Amino acid sequence: MKKLLKQLVIDTATKHIFLSLIIDGKERQFTYEEGINNHSVTIIPYLEEMLKKENMTLRDLDQIIVGIGPGSYTGVRIGVTVAKMIGYLNNPEVYTVSSLALIASAAEKPFVLALIDARRGNAFMGLYQNVSGKIVNIMSDSLENIENYKKGIQMDYVIIEDGKPQVEKIINSELLIKVKDIHSLTPNYLQVTEAERNLHNETDH
Amino acid sequence: MYVLGVETSCDETSVSIVKDGKDVLSNVVLSQIDIHKEYGGVVPEIASREHVKGITYVFDKAMNDAGLRYEDIDLIAVTKGPGLIGSLLIGVNAAKVISLSFNIPIIGIHHIAGHIYANHIDNGMEFPLLALVVSGGHTELILMKEHYDFNKLGETQDDAVGEAYDKIARVLGLPYPGGPIVDKKAAHGKDNLHFPRPMIDSGDFNFSFSGLKSHVINVHHNMKQRQEEINVEDFCASFQEAVTDVLVAKTIMAKEKFKVKQIIVAGGVAANSGLRSKMKESIQDIPVYFPKMAYCTDNAAMIAAAGYFQYIRNNKKADDLMLNGQSRLNLEG
Ligand SMILES: [Zn+2]
Repeated sequence: MKKLLKQLVIDTATKHIFLSLIIDGKERQFTYEEGINNHSVTIIPYLEEMLKKENMTLRDLDQIIVGIGPGSYTGVRIGVTVAKMIGYLNNPEVYTVSSLALIASAAEKPFVLALIDARRGNAFMGLYQNVSGKIVNIMSDSLENIENYKKGIQMDYVIIEDGKPQVEKIINSELLIKVKDIHSLTPNYLQVTEAERNLHNETDH
Repeated sequence: MYVLGVETSCDETSVSIVKDGKDVLSNVVLSQIDIHKEYGGVVPEIASREHVKGITYVFDKAMNDAGLRYEDIDLIAVTKGPGLIGSLLIGVNAAKVISLSFNIPIIGIHHIAGHIYANHIDNGMEFPLLALVVSGGHTELILMKEHYDFNKLGETQDDAVGEAYDKIARVLGLPYPGGPIVDKKAAHGKDNLHFPRPMIDSGDFNFSFSGLKSHVINVHHNMKQRQEEINVEDFCASFQEAVTDVLVAKTIMAKEKFKVKQIIVAGGVAANSGLRSKMKESIQDIPVYFPKMAYCTDNAAMIAAAGYFQYIRNNKKADDLMLNGQSRLNLEG
């Protein structure tokens, strides 16, 4: 019997937790749920439940695809830590993907602006395109003033802030980046911490 | 029983394997102290980022040092609080992945229970015992009548001792962390500035250090204004004598009242040489134990040691995978 490819997608960079178990290219189990600061509580129990339904363990996974942000710092760290540990303990291949690409995959329109609010008129944003069953990045992920980012967009687009990702569009895309050394996996924060910024400003002047 | 300990409550990423609450097979500590030094204190967001960076490396090294496989581990003990929430969540989730991967029971540990059980690694425990917990976040006196039974007798009403040390160091222009450097300077100074001994006669087991801190800052400020020469070593000695006088006096008071058989001092400030010598000089009728230096500051060996006793005491009841970090947490449960 041919061995079926078993993939797990994890994303916790937004207020929604997203877990998807894909077997032979088809999503067999998923969790997509809004959680207020409790991804840390639910991620492992949900994962356990999904694996159980497919009669699988973490060791059966061939690939993990993890959303590495940008997004909520505390949130994204949960998913990345879990993916990193599964990768380290069980040796599947690990791939990273933009959490904004996952959000964009939920939309049907050709051009999609995926957006995670970052307050004071700023957001984490990325412009993506739906092209025949996969998602393509048009303008790179950025943390900046929402109106400024929008000015740079030439085409008609829809804004999307949440929605259950369509994982087929992600696993078929060219957006996955393979993690060569699992110990080096970290989130993509898109900015240094406030403390680091202040320190550098002090030393500059 | 092999217990895998995990500690990420502040700025050290640590994993350790301890057998039966006593034999340390490995204790790996990835310290961020040099990173936070620049900021004069721990920056929570940076601490969380560093934990994610180092987490798998620390597990890998701890397992290799111990020469064990995950299949050999009988229990996972992870700090669940109190501490920086963003930091705690990294250790808790990493530990839960191991629990799920290898079907190993997991329990959440109170960080202070860990500091207390650091003493079990090198010394025995005889009950009733008195624990003085002194660190950057804690100053408390705890009475234990048996294993894993904690009764808080008193605690600081404001600043923790370690915190006061850091602030005094800053005023004196000394680098972070303040504890070790103030301790070092104090050894060469004289207690000649007559700082107050706050709450020494309060009759209870509580502490207060913010008044003392303000007093020291005022004296320093006034001397500077009058352009008097400031002897940093005397400042350190006078401050350290005031603090340790109070800590020792309250410890002796509790020792007499509860007729304890031993005293253990725990937490980062347990590394303070002034406190060590004053405790040992003032209390000679019963043993006073301090953990080895490596087990004074945050480490996972102490969490594994505490985990062993918590598990036994609770009839081997494990937590479920909903286990979460908590920034505030009561030791008495
Ligand atoms: Zn501590």
